[in-house]
Amino acid sequence: MSNVKTHSIDISAMQRDQQALSIENEKVCLSVKDLHLYYGEKEALKGVNMIIPEKKVTAFIGPSGCGKSTLLRCFNRMNDLVDSCRITGEINLHDNNIYSKGTDVAELRRRVGMVFQKPNPFPKSIYENVAYGLRIQGINKKRLLDETVEWALRSAALWDEVKDRLHESALGMSGGQQQRLVIARTVAVKPEVLLLDEPASALDPISTLKIEELIHELKNEFTIAIVTHNMQQAARVSDYTAFMYMGDLVEFGDTNTLFTNPGKQQTEDYITGRYG
Amino acid sequence: MKMQKKSVSEWVKSGDPWVWLNAGAVAISVIMVVGLLLLIAVRGLGHFWPADVMQATYSLPGEKSYTIAAERVESVEVTSAQLREAGVQLPADDDEFLQRTLLKMGNRDVYGADFGWVLDKYLSDIQTPEMLFAAERHEWGNLYGYLMAVKEDGQLVSETSDVTATASALATWVMFEKSIERATAIHDDIKDIEKYDIGKINHALERIRLKQRRYELNGELTPAVEADLAAERAQYDEEYKGLQANLAALYQQINRDSFVVRVMDGTEHEMPVSKIVHAFRPNAMSVMDKLGFYFVKVWDFLSDEPREANTEGGVFPAIFGTVMMVLLMTVLVTPFGVVAAIYLREYAPQGIVTRVIRIAVNNLAGVPSIVYGVFGLGFFIYFLGSGIDQAFFPEALPSPTFGTGGLMWASVTLALLTVPVVIVATEEGLSRIPRNVREGSLALGATKAETLWRVVLPMASPAIMTGVILAVARAAGEVAPLMLVGVVKLAPSLPLDGNYPFIHLDQKFMHLGFHIYDVGFQSPNVEAARPLVYATALLLVIVIALLNLSAVTIRNHLREKYKSLEM
Repeated sequence: MSNVKTHSIDISAMQRDQQALSIENEKVCLSVKDLHLYYGEKEALKGVNMIIPEKKVTAFIGPSGCGKSTLLRCFNRMNDLVDSCRITGEINLHDNNIYSKGTDVAELRRRVGMVFQKPNPFPKSIYENVAYGLRIQGINKKRLLDETVEWALRSAALWDEVKDRLHESALGMSGGQQQRLVIARTVAVKPEVLLLDEPASALDPISTLKIEELIHELKNEFTIAIVTHNMQQAARVSDYTAFMYMGDLVEFGDTNTLFTNPGKQQTEDYITGRYG
Repeated sequence: MKMQKKSVSEWVKSGDPWVWLNAGAVAISVIMVVGLLLLIAVRGLGHFWPADVMQATYSLPGEKSYTIAAERVESVEVTSAQLREAGVQLPADDDEFLQRTLLKMGNRDVYGADFGWVLDKYLSDIQTPEMLFAAERHEWGNLYGYLMAVKEDGQLVSETSDVTATASALATWVMFEKSIERATAIHDDIKDIEKYDIGKINHALERIRLKQRRYELNGELTPAVEADLAAERAQYDEEYKGLQANLAALYQQINRDSFVVRVMDGTEHEMPVSKIVHAFRPNAMSVMDKLGFYFVKVWDFLSDEPREANTEGGVFPAIFGTVMMVLLMTVLVTPFGVVAAIYLREYAPQGIVTRVIRIAVNNLAGVPSIVYGVFGLGFFIYFLGSGIDQAFFPEALPSPTFGTGGLMWASVTLALLTVPVVIVATEEGLSRIPRNVREGSLALGATKAETLWRVVLPMASPAIMTGVILAVARAAGEVAPLMLVGVVKLAPSLPLDGNYPFIHLDQKFMHLGFHIYDVGFQSPNVEAARPLVYATALLLVIVIALLNLSAVTIRNHLREKYKSLEM
């Protein structure tokens, strides 16, 4: 239980950090321009315009079905896997439109990593899970792999827990450990952007806190975009927050302002719990 | 009690009848399967037991009585009316029902038939004399009789005039056993030379002939080449002559000894010892002796080649052929089925065409197997096979190499027969891999092919193995198509041996399933063959079970390794 205490201190520290942020002063990592997305006839995203600032945490909140996960999955073209999905508009990753023809999707996904709602470790050893992305890139040198695996596991605050059983199956870990393993696996390929799709929704409170602390650590090195249902979580971990509703980006701004002084009635209604 | 008040409708409503119905159906299935296995096991395994040989006098009313020595095979009860109709002269006041017994009397060369029915009632003076011996022979089936003398080069070395266990009789028996041991050793030598050494030379000579023919066809047969080939041939001929001389010497040795046997009609016959496989006196054997003998016989059955139109000897070539064909089929069917399933499930656009293909694949599994046999004969053998012969083996023509039934075509045909099973099972497996695992791999920058190869296929491997298990189970028991594409009653050599190229895919082979059919229905000696049908059937079941068991073990191992991620 001592863990919880240290975490709560960290969180208050996080919140202090969030003073005096301004979106205009941030370096742009991803910029979204007039993005429309259709599932068959249904329009799931209705012209979204926003930027994801570099090395900051951007949270997406909104009621179920508002399109926040869909938007997140646009950033690494995961929606390509859905047959009926059609997209217009553009998303630029450092000024390159990722939806232009000739984009190497695999390369894009290496640069924009993603962690999903449910932990999805591969049925391999812990080591092989983390080394997976590297092996895909053709890296097979044992020393390099060893170093990267250790670094990634340390980054995901998992090293101390698993260093003695690296070659055991990842499926024997707890849910929270598995999710951190998935984060380590994603971090191991050194992406520029980490997309987290409700990473803590399937976890218990203690694991959730660990993940949140991890996000706070990781933002020093990565641009992070996180989808969450949990508004407290968004408030705790993010620098910027986007509120989405019915496929529209309703409001986007620094987290403190959005939660304390929302500009739109809809936002205020949502964060005060009037609907959603 | 409350229970008694319950009405029928309440009982129906409680669901109990359905439980009973289901349990009953399961019980019946289990009983039938166990009964089937027990039947073939008892009938098949009983055959190898060295049963007592009885000696008795058989005197049907109105006929001359005679002495018989025989093993009891089976007993049935028949009506006397039926017997009279069949022409048996029975007294008018005979019992209504009579016990009739099938006896194995052996000595086919002496009596003409080795099995016969007798009426128990008219058997008298039944005894099991200690010195009465049974001998399994390379030809003519079993021999029953009394040993009277053993000769070496026509000279008596031991003789007796007794049919009881006197010192002279026992001494003669010991001589006989020694003589058999010696003959068996020589027999093995002869077999080795004929099979391996001469086989090798024949193989080499055939290769030289084909080489020469190839040169001839290509117009490259210069006198120099011809001389080379002739020299090579001469060398093998020389070697062959040496072996031939060896063989002649061995044949002389093996035919040195002979023995004299007195059969039940009192006549004495002299026979060469080399004809004997085993000789034993079952009436003098203890249970332990019999048990030892039993295992020797079972082992012979498993490891020997068949004799006497498959009614005697072992079934080793058939076991070997079955296993070899199934393994080859597995090697062929697994990659094809998996690749097809991957395309259908992962890459093909899921439209009407794919649906039609999928339905067609499923229906392929329902096509009668003989149709596959006809297809295999028409397409693989006559079309592909002759094409291959013309392209690659023109020197052997007109005798076909692949243009006739053989191990490869049989395996390919069965692979075609079982590929739907593998496709369906693999597709099922692929569809069960959680989407989020695939996405996890893709999100790390893996391409679809990499994801399939590194994550999806390993996770689907237990399902693939399930398909393979079903395919093996189906293929191993299949006989009908094989009769058209390469199975034969008696194959002169195994499809795997020490001669280049070691695996002879073009060779015809034997198969347990076909062996059962052949022994059971094509055999000239029905009574002798019947127990072998059961024994072979049992063996087929065991072979299939073992093949399946190994596949199941592999699958369970994989399943453990790739335990699914259901959370």
